[in-house]
Amino acid sequence: MHDRPTDAELEAYLEESLPPEEMGAVEAALRADSELAARLKRIISKRDAGLHSLGDIWRRHRVSCPTREELGTWLLDSLGPEEEDYVRFHLEVVGCRLCKANLHDLKQKERESKREVTVRRQRVYQSSAGYLPGERRS
Amino acid sequence: MSESHDVDRLLVERIRSGDQAGWKDLIERYEGRLFAFVESRLQNRSQSEDIVQEAFIGFLTSLPNYDGKRPLEGYLFSICAYKLTDHLRREGRRPSVPLSSGGPSSGDWDVPDKRRPASSIVRSVERRRIEEEAVVQALQEQILYWRGRGDWAKIKCVELLIVRGWANKKVAEELDLSEQQVANFKFEFLAKMKTALKKQRLPEDVFPELYDEL
Repeated sequence: MHDRPTDAELEAYLEESLPPEEMGAVEAALRADSELAARLKRIISKRDAGLHSLGDIWRRHRVSCPTREELGTWLLDSLGPEEEDYVRFHLEVVGCRLCKANLHDLKQKERESKREVTVRRQRVYQSSAGYLPGERRS
Repeated sequence: MSESHDVDRLLVERIRSGDQAGWKDLIERYEGRLFAFVESRLQNRSQSEDIVQEAFIGFLTSLPNYDGKRPLEGYLFSICAYKLTDHLRREGRRPSVPLSSGGPSSGDWDVPDKRRPASSIVRSVERRRIEEEAVVQALQEQILYWRGRGDWAKIKCVELLIVRGWANKKVAEELDLSEQQVANFKFEFLAKMKTALKKQRLPEDVFPELYDEL
């Protein structure tokens, strides 16, 4: 991020939805730039008071995100040229972190060993199953 | 309602009834993308695994409050983002910004914005939900309309203006448009949003960005 972050980008920072390298840049800037920290503080105060912005709502509801199926089709180079171009824009220029995570997961499914994924998921299951409401075994 | 949303709704119903197989299915469906989301930031597999585990536990403990109308994927990502933020704060990587003590502007929530007086600010959750639903519907309709017409340049333009908050000039440079074209697209978008919100009888000052200069 070369310019100072916009308010919309600071909102995205609070939601942990900027691309990782931009998140790092904002963190570094916040330590050095008191004016930026004050802007962030005002944004947090607005949110605490129940205000929201169009950008907040757009991101939260992922209004323009391609579906996971579209991302899969994009990986196969099977979208039409304009849609293909839009998905690239959404990933690379907007830098949508959630779509990138989906895309990475789709790519990883082919690469990662089945055993590795199974072990990881088994761990998640074992650590969380005890929290299931009124357990019903099946 | 999408097919994916229906699958999620059924999964959540199974989990609410304590179905362990349903819980395994949900983990199978979402763990990979949540892990990718966290790992892209931490670049550390074992910490990322821990955070994703915490996020799944967080989902189960918050299940009584989960509104099934909200897309499950977004809900899971938001829990994960919360757990990740918390982790980064504990590690000292993410600076915390205190609100009610310290600095000269602390506690001032007097935002220099004449269009929206501070006295009108504390909004009810219900009010916020009504506003949000109206905006989502209007945004979705607009994006769908532009997609149907192949107006991809308009979608890109408005996305950079609203989601990234970029200035017209920067958007024009990025998309190889003239500043006038950007202003025209912005005008069209804002006019449609204003009309949609008026139809829902929402007050005009709720989203001051609708009245930004072109």
